[in-house]
Amino acid sequence: MPPLVRRFSDFFRDLEQLERTAARTEAVLEVFARHTPFPRGALYLRDRDARLRLAAKSRQFIAPEILDDEPPAELIASPDRVIVPLRSGRDPVGVLALAAAGVYEEQDLDLLRAGAVFLSTVIANQRLTQEAREGDFQLKYRLWELETLYDIGLSIAGTLNIEELADEILFRMISLINARRAALFLREGGRFKVYRSFGDVRSDFLDDELTTQLLEAGRPISFEAGADCIFPACTTFVAVPIRGDNEVIGVLAAADRETRDGGIGVFDENELRLLSLFANQVAIALENARLHRDALEKQAMERELELAATIQRDILPKSVPSLEEMEIAALARPARQVGGDYHAFFERENGATLLVADVSGKSMPAALLVSALHAAVQLLVGEGRPLGEVATELNRHIHSWSAENKFITLIMAAIDREAETLEYVNAGHNPGYLLNDGRVDTLKSHGLPIGMLAQSKYMTQIRPFPSGSTVVLYSDGITEAENEAGEEFGNERLEPLLDGRASPAELRDRIGAAVDAFTGSAPQKDDQTLVIARSGSGRMRNQP
Amino acid sequence: MTEELKVAIDRKGSGAVLYTKGYINNVGGEEIANRAYELMDDGVRTLLLNLRETKIVNSIGISILIEIIEKMMDKGGRIAFCCLTPVIHKTFQIMGLANYATIYDSEEAAAKELAL
Repeated sequence: MPPLVRRFSDFFRDLEQLERTAARTEAVLEVFARHTPFPRGALYLRDRDARLRLAAKSRQFIAPEILDDEPPAELIASPDRVIVPLRSGRDPVGVLALAAAGVYEEQDLDLLRAGAVFLSTVIANQRLTQEAREGDFQLKYRLWELETLYDIGLSIAGTLNIEELADEILFRMISLINARRAALFLREGGRFKVYRSFGDVRSDFLDDELTTQLLEAGRPISFEAGADCIFPACTTFVAVPIRGDNEVIGVLAAADRETRDGGIGVFDENELRLLSLFANQVAIALENARLHRDALEKQAMERELELAATIQRDILPKSVPSLEEMEIAALARPARQVGGDYHAFFERENGATLLVADVSGKSMPAALLVSALHAAVQLLVGEGRPLGEVATELNRHIHSWSAENKFITLIMAAIDREAETLEYVNAGHNPGYLLNDGRVDTLKSHGLPIGMLAQSKYMTQIRPFPSGSTVVLYSDGITEAENEAGEEFGNERLEPLLDGRASPAELRDRIGAAVDAFTGSAPQKDDQTLVIARSGSGRMRNQP
Repeated sequence: MTEELKVAIDRKGSGAVLYTKGYINNVGGEEIANRAYELMDDGVRTLLLNLRETKIVNSIGISILIEIIEKMMDKGGRIAFCCLTPVIHKTFQIMGLANYATIYDSEEAAAKELAL
């Protein structure tokens, strides 16, 4: 093979290798140095902005980073260097600037021209391949964006746990817009509080000025961040309101959008559009989660009410005691929301002790206090102590046991058939009634409710209670029962019903019917309790 | 949660398991790439990426993972992934990573198949 042909052949074989291995740009200069009398030089390639940017250079070869001059149409040769344009068709793809090692010949320049044509094709092919790959990547990336938005509508909306939901929202948002940091803010009054963040935040609340801007704009806001950015030392920032049914329920914020070249860029229009669509999906998901949480809370509350009602049902007397010469009747109507009414009967020598109490509060706390009252009362009254002592001891016990704002109004009445007396204690409760010989006397409160003050002491009150007398104890659920107009039944409607000639059962039914007729279809707001006893003679016995 | 990625490596003969913890973005992806290329230069030809503690990958992280896969393929080796969250699993499928790298549910399944 003639030497010149061999030289061309060897040169092109090496250039071909460049194509096969998608070679480093330094390798281009190495190939030219190996096969031409130009051992040093620089390779410039056209970048995305159509500028000729330095891609590789030989050691100690001085070359600027950017070539301002347009590449020449043809090879330019001077004694010590050559400038070789690289073109693919009409498009300039780069320039080779090579320094001669010494004197060169025309055939060396021919070799350079031929090599440049081949190299240009290699570079153009590599560019096309790269562009095709990037196009493919971008296409897949757009598909992924759409899938992400679609998924948020499905999987996120299916995540009813707001804790998990917050993570899911943050993770997907960060991926979607290539942010480095992000935070989810939820409305708390007129402000937006950080609910979850990826990366540190400088404050628990979104800046007031930004909040105002977001509420006014109603769409994403993006800017190059300053020192007041909620993410420390952030460069670019974006925030988008999450619009619920009636108001903005939250804000999504992110910082520092990554770019392909490793830098940080501003959030572009495409990302703002994506973020808006994302926020719409998030709004639906958050509303779903909130509704679910509300439903769970309601369920829990109903379970608690059910349990409290069970406790109270088990505590209240299952039957009305019957005494041979004493008639007792009772009425206990619990409200839907368990209140704290309690009543009890105790047998005592020559009579009975009756008790009606009303515990403050509702639901489980009230039921537990009723339970404590029940235990204490059973113990103290069972010991046969005077009622004043019972109330004083009860007060001390309940005050130390219960929460600060929990107390009990209570009326106890002990009938002594033989002595024909009625002893009573009224601790902040509605006045009881004593009916005797056509007269109606009241058993008014003479002390603070039980459990209100640790030092309270209660004195037993005593009234004559001859045979045929009736005592009526009740809770405020009777007198404060409301009709549809919001008016209370009141003592003025109760007292005309108190006819001492009627039996306790008749009185109970009469009062119960009158309250029902008064309230009509208005809901019962509080427990209603009535305990009525008329004296006679005989021993107490429980009826089934 | 923080945005920083941590990498741990368990070398197993001519293979290795690379564990990631955190966000695979540009910074995290470069960290993985550097460690993966060191392993490749050291003769590793089977590399399993265990992403159990990674919950987020962005598009730049994905493009870096693709570069790592291609580089390993050029060297005649293979890369696999395991323990992906459902979201990342789907992302890898859409972005085409699953075409060039096998995805396993667990490290045990991957180790058995890849003889790690």
